[in-house]
Amino acid sequence: MSWSRVGFSSLLLFFFFIVQESAISKINFPISGFSLYLCAVLGLMALEDRFGAIAFGFIAGIILDFSPSSDSAFGKWALILTIVGYLFSRNRESIGDFTERPMAFVLFVTAGATITLLIFLVIGLVLGENNGNILNNLKTVFGNGLWTLLFSSILLPIIVKLRALTLTSRERI
Amino acid sequence: MAAGGNNRSRLLLVILLVTSLFLITLDLRGVNITKNSRSATQTFLAPIQRGVSDLFSPVGNFFSDIKNFGKTKSELKELKEENAKLREKVIFNDDTLGQLKKLENVLDLAGRGKYKVVSARVIGKGSSATFSQTITIDSGSNDGVMKDMTVIGELGLVGVVKSTTSTSAIVLLMSDPTFRIGVRIARSQSIGVLLGEGDNNYTLQLLDPSGSIEKDDVLLSLGSDNNKPFVPGVPVGYVKTVKNSRATLTQEAIVASYSNLGSLGVVSVIISSANGGPKDALIPMPRPTPTTTIYVTQPPAIDTATATKDKN
Repeated sequence: MSWSRVGFSSLLLFFFFIVQESAISKINFPISGFSLYLCAVLGLMALEDRFGAIAFGFIAGIILDFSPSSDSAFGKWALILTIVGYLFSRNRESIGDFTERPMAFVLFVTAGATITLLIFLVIGLVLGENNGNILNNLKTVFGNGLWTLLFSSILLPIIVKLRALTLTSRERI
Repeated sequence: MAAGGNNRSRLLLVILLVTSLFLITLDLRGVNITKNSRSATQTFLAPIQRGVSDLFSPVGNFFSDIKNFGKTKSELKELKEENAKLREKVIFNDDTLGQLKKLENVLDLAGRGKYKVVSARVIGKGSSATFSQTITIDSGSNDGVMKDMTVIGELGLVGVVKSTTSTSAIVLLMSDPTFRIGVRIARSQSIGVLLGEGDNNYTLQLLDPSGSIEKDDVLLSLGSDNNKPFVPGVPVGYVKTVKNSRATLTQEAIVASYSNLGSLGVVSVIISSANGGPKDALIPMPRPTPTTTIYVTQPPAIDTATATKDKN
């Protein structure tokens, strides 16, 4: 993984973060909101090798920690997405190449988004944060999973193409 | 080679996990770097959010518009305005009656509603992924908006200012699970604490075990020292259901808010409350009881013999 790709992917993640914070979060989705940023991050992580998934998880987490609307401890998202990056890379090796199996890709990212939010809740409990009613939280997790399932089929091909632009000729081979 | 790659990944994983935990520890210990960084992000995002707000507002209400398909917008708006006026009247009447009954030195009738406000547009909402319920408004410290100021909507309380930048502010909505506000019931003047639950329902915990809650009771904010974070007298919500449980020491009720937090367009931040609000006037002052002194004097004794003689 080249440093230029790390930089380019980080910029891409930052772009998705701005879109999420300024546009997507303004939409009143039924059940619960959709996190475009999480979907993009998990999509990128799923395409990386173990080293890349962990590194991107951490970078994506740090960007999300800068979210002004976030009330949780700074570094919490970095911790969560690093763990998720590691778990992703462990499991994706057994699934194979996602670019040839779009349905598996969509389901993998949806499951990842759901697991990420559940880990967020669990770590919040460990840190003594008040996340409110458990049923509401589960509704949020479920709603986010549902919207990720619906939108990721549109979003993931775009992410794959954008990522391809960042690959060096050696990495493409 | 593969083993080398695995070792490299493991080393990276450990380093990044330790770094994350270090950052969390710094934040929990109250190091300001993290808070300032979020504030800087907000300063950067506010102009973008403001720009996107106009462009995106029709899309933002897309799903709710589908839900209300068939109803004309103008008719809805008219009804909403009329409803808001009627509700306001009912709230003020209830409160006035409750205070008259108590005959206490409550002088907030004139003060209530006479707030100095700064109006602001809602330009952003907190991401659902963070589980915290916030909105971003387009007024900041340049307009006089400061941290811990009360934010109201067209029908009542919306939340409290959590942080500000020069041109924007983040408002913690009253539905956030961490939100707490002291309230009083307009009818009985009993006081309690209202807790955000993360949705449209709120829990009211009465502080006085002998106090009474009834369905449709109107709740007003109790107010804080120097009106921060809450000014007194703001309509907060009404009682939907009273919980009758013997297991709890205090009475509880489910409350619905007046403000529809899902469709906030414009809000007002209360900069100051006229005459400091009615906070002190609500405290029942011990009054001296008027004492009546009765002097009992001995009636003059009547000499019957002299009286008969005088008569003759």
